[in-house]
Amino acid sequence: MDVQGRDLSETVWTRLDRKAGAVIELTIRQLRHKISTWVVLALGTILMVLLLAFYIDSIRDGFESIDNDGDSVDQDRDGYPLGQERKYGTSDWNGEEYPGSGTYIYEGEIDWNDENREISGNKTWEGVSLLDATWIDADYKGGQWDYIIDWEDVTDCPDTRGELFVDWIPDFATACQLEDGTYATNGKFNAEGNITVPLDYYLTYGYVTGIFVVPKDPKEMYIDEDDIDWDGSSGSQGMDDDGDCLRTEWFTQLDGSGEFMWWEEPHRPDANGNGIQCDVIWIIDSQTGEVISISADSSVDEDPVDENYAGEASHRTFVIATGKIAFVLLLGLFLPLFLSLGLVRDETERGTLHYLLSKPIHRGEFILYRVLGYLAVVSVFVLVLSLVMGLITSVIGPGESLIRVGDLPVWLGIAIATILVLAAYGSLFNTIGLLLPKYGVYLCIVIGVWEFAMGFTTLISPSSSIATLSVSHWGLQLIDSIVMVSWPDTLQFSQMSSAFGLQTGLEWIWSPPVHTLNSSNAYLGILTSVIMLIGVSVSMIGIGSAVFSKREIM
Amino acid sequence: MTPELDISGGTTRMESAFGSGDGDDEAKASVAKKAEVKGSIYEQTYRPWRGSLGPRWVRNYAIFRHHVYGLFSSKGHRYYHPIVRLTILIVFLFSLSPVAMLFLASLGGQGGFGEILSRMWGINRYNLWGQVLGFFPRNLCMWPLLTALVVGGMISDDRRNGTSAIYFSRPVNRIDYTAMKYLSSAVVLGFVIVFSYMVYYTSAIVLNGEGWAFLIDTFPIFMGGLLAGILLVLTYTSIGLALSSISQSRFFAAVAFLAVIYGTKMVAFLIESTFESSILYLLSPYDGLAHIGQWLVGIESNYDYPLAFSIVSILLINSLSLALLTSRVSSLEVTRE
Amino acid sequence: MTAKAPAVMIESASKWYGEVIGLNDVSLAIDGGVTGVLGPNGAGKSTLFKLLLGRLKPSQGSVRLFGTDPWESTSPFRRVGYVSETEPLYEWMTGLDFLMTMARLHGMTRDEARERAEHVLEFVGLSDVRHKEVGKYSKGMRQRVKIAHALVHDPDLIILDEPLHGCDPLARTSIMSVIRELGNRGKTVIVSSHILEEIERITEQIVILHNGRLLALGNLHAIRGLLDKHPHRILLETESPRDLAKELITRKPIYGVRFPEDGFLEIQTGDLSAAHEILPSAIIESGIRVTAVENPDDNLDSLLGYLVGGG
Repeated sequence: MDVQGRDLSETVWTRLDRKAGAVIELTIRQLRHKISTWVVLALGTILMVLLLAFYIDSIRDGFESIDNDGDSVDQDRDGYPLGQERKYGTSDWNGEEYPGSGTYIYEGEIDWNDENREISGNKTWEGVSLLDATWIDADYKGGQWDYIIDWEDVTDCPDTRGELFVDWIPDFATACQLEDGTYATNGKFNAEGNITVPLDYYLTYGYVTGIFVVPKDPKEMYIDEDDIDWDGSSGSQGMDDDGDCLRTEWFTQLDGSGEFMWWEEPHRPDANGNGIQCDVIWIIDSQTGEVISISADSSVDEDPVDENYAGEASHRTFVIATGKIAFVLLLGLFLPLFLSLGLVRDETERGTLHYLLSKPIHRGEFILYRVLGYLAVVSVFVLVLSLVMGLITSVIGPGESLIRVGDLPVWLGIAIATILVLAAYGSLFNTIGLLLPKYGVYLCIVIGVWEFAMGFTTLISPSSSIATLSVSHWGLQLIDSIVMVSWPDTLQFSQMSSAFGLQTGLEWIWSPPVHTLNSSNAYLGILTSVIMLIGVSVSMIGIGSAVFSKREIM
Repeated sequence: MTPELDISGGTTRMESAFGSGDGDDEAKASVAKKAEVKGSIYEQTYRPWRGSLGPRWVRNYAIFRHHVYGLFSSKGHRYYHPIVRLTILIVFLFSLSPVAMLFLASLGGQGGFGEILSRMWGINRYNLWGQVLGFFPRNLCMWPLLTALVVGGMISDDRRNGTSAIYFSRPVNRIDYTAMKYLSSAVVLGFVIVFSYMVYYTSAIVLNGEGWAFLIDTFPIFMGGLLAGILLVLTYTSIGLALSSISQSRFFAAVAFLAVIYGTKMVAFLIESTFESSILYLLSPYDGLAHIGQWLVGIESNYDYPLAFSIVSILLINSLSLALLTSRVSSLEVTRE
Repeated sequence: MTAKAPAVMIESASKWYGEVIGLNDVSLAIDGGVTGVLGPNGAGKSTLFKLLLGRLKPSQGSVRLFGTDPWESTSPFRRVGYVSETEPLYEWMTGLDFLMTMARLHGMTRDEARERAEHVLEFVGLSDVRHKEVGKYSKGMRQRVKIAHALVHDPDLIILDEPLHGCDPLARTSIMSVIRELGNRGKTVIVSSHILEEIERITEQIVILHNGRLLALGNLHAIRGLLDKHPHRILLETESPRDLAKELITRKPIYGVRFPEDGFLEIQTGDLSAAHEILPSAIIESGIRVTAVENPDDNLDSLLGYLVGGG
């Protein structure tokens, strides 16, 4: 063939190299001259800045201690937190019942029929009365429905409502003060003084025995009070530090945000069924020392010190969620949609393709170089973004060391996973643009929606089998695998989160990779995902090249 | 310039003309002159139209019709790509899937499978809400795709091809143009989203043989859902048309629309799941609409901020989009850009 | 084989697009010098070039560039430069950038590319604007930068598709001189046009295509000689065509008159040169005002008409 020595090149390879460089450089410069490139990259950056802002904000607040088991609240306002009441077996529903509250003994009553409607003494009263008190127990408090008067909330009786006890009485569980300093009551209280029961009303009285003083525990005692007790070895571990595991009666439970909810699960002190009550079974991989599973009895180690667990787990949740949602799903899908479809198609439409095709470059190579050029732009962008994110979060993230070195491989892995996804989508969209110059754009939009939906499905349910028909699924799998390799103890954090009911979000954003050929080996997960992603890229470039090199270009 | 050329007279004249700088464009011009003479024939046949202009609404209706009829027939109407038509059809059929289920249920008769089906797919607040505002699959896969495909090229095509001149060279002003584009997009979307919703409701009544009491019970809920559906159509149309008006490629507009809907939703989802702060849902058009819709049909809200925030957010999104749209349309060149 | 293979070798090549025939059984070999490819729009010029550039596959026959099938291999493009008729360029690139990129696509290193690009820009007379964006170039400059891009790798075969289309006379002249200069340097240059005069000023070696068929091939003089034996028409615009006709019909080379339109006289002659010689004196003698003289036949269409045999 052509053997005219032009002394331009030494070997085929250097020449190929030069042409590749030229096409790639041209592609990069073309992308640089498109406004949409900059818009898309700017939006990607804004997205990351937004995430960082939220991250920094949450770091500044610190990882505040969370009452994971919800026993620090005082629902009945008797001053004893739920945890303390549970220890003494009293109810957190009933303000009269608290540790050391004693037993109420009925003494007598003034009812509708009684002639004598006056009585004096130091007793516990319950009913509608006019009270001329010398002493009132202001500490005696109860819940909303306990009929106990809150003496800190007493107002003056209104004189506009007519005659007291005839036209009106105080509201349920309240009292009001008359002008002469006496009180009109409708509720339960401890007081010493003269009591007058109005006609047609009813009052009982009595006293409480067996009172002993139990110091009220501060709420903080019941936050982070049941740390995870684990010596790092396998077997039955755990210690019910707060002693609520064997407690028989459960009344209330509060969820993490402090809202009241009914306790629905039965109390099972031997939930893991190993015959030992109130323990935690840890199963450790004897080779690697990694936690394989954790199985805890109810209420054991359920309120650990959040700084040690939630802080670290939340940080990881952030990193993984950012990697999966922001990088793979959003950047990974939308950058190619905006940038790669037109790689060859735009040239055809604009009419500049012949400049490139009348050169001694095989059309297949040409496609490859175009995709590489696009990939160079987006890869640098993704690498820089992930590096910046990684540096900032690893400096300000939890932990004693100045910089969390262990984070950097994860961020790098996220960048690589994103780049692989970008390559797969890039070659896919480019090929579609080539194969179907007219229909391609519509098909790309449909594929974009499909990929997004499948990515979303994978987030919710990683083992979904239909999602394997999408690129985003494999990208997310790859991040799962990379996290497992770089932070082997994520599994442990995830297990802890679900075993001890910690609210870190880790257990839903991350789960061990599914496609490991049943080996649970994260490296195999990486391998399968990478093969799938590269496979899509290569096959798409191959199809594109094959079709394009046999295409007649009018 | 080659003197030995066999120069005959005409060529010489052209040569000299060419040399003097007139170029042989001039020589061609004499041919064109002939055409000019012929041009007078055209002048004779040209008879200006002296009729009276139809009222404004008739002209506007013509624009509207042009866009909407295009869905069914491209002859003389706006061209909708076959894939767009196919997608609209698929989305429409899919959004009618509850009707099919109800039909199956009505075949199943009393008890057993039929009853389970009719209970699952029958009319209730959640189903009515979900018919237009459910995230999966309707707002994840169907409505955004539909909007992206329908609205993407509405204005960007005109910008790309300069076809807006077809309107502006006629007694159609930019407000008419924008309003009719908006209306026709909204009607196409509404045909799929709102109409399927209405079909669902009516067919549920017919297939289940419901009585007046049921109608009285559910009609307010239905109206709430209908309002929510219309609001959804309007909001999606606003955003889509605004994006279409800033770009020259329908593809860019379509992908940008998907990016807006999905991006805001996913970022808000990310922030909420990681930082337990749901405030970013205010940026997400879908979530604003879902929140308002929950209020309209009277189901419990799963957003922990006040409804007013969502209403303000949706109003802002709409007004920003409309402002962008009007400013872009008013600066739309009559020539090809 | 390779050294001797002609730059362009087309053997009974046909190309049809479905029912439409683009090129019909064309055989031709071109090597060295400037060759003009003439033909009206739709004659098959672009199809021919697209076949040469491997953008289309011949439906029948074979196309060889330097002995290699351009559809199968891109290697002959190393020696081919192509100037398309389409306008678009990479508007945002400077002239030098554009040429360097194109040179590098041919496998040159950056330094070689710069050297060649500077050289070629000098050659087409654009070196003073080489740092300006191509988007800011005038039409002639754009055309020249396109030609420069085709020359940057010093090709042996240069294909120019309508290089003069839409250029002002100044640009035409300079582009024509560039093309002639290339021919003088021993390159094989193929120029297409649908305007005979353009080609006439560049070269005498022409190929005429019409309706996808090869109509004529060879020296322009020979073809023109052929042309002179055919009847010619001269159109005169005058106030009183019939009086003028009376006057002219008596002169020798004129054997017929026609009145195509009001105020026009068409005379028919067998010898165009002779007719033009006697025409001025005859008109002056008649004393009738003649406002314009036109040669409706002196264009490609009529030339083609003769060649096709219509008249």
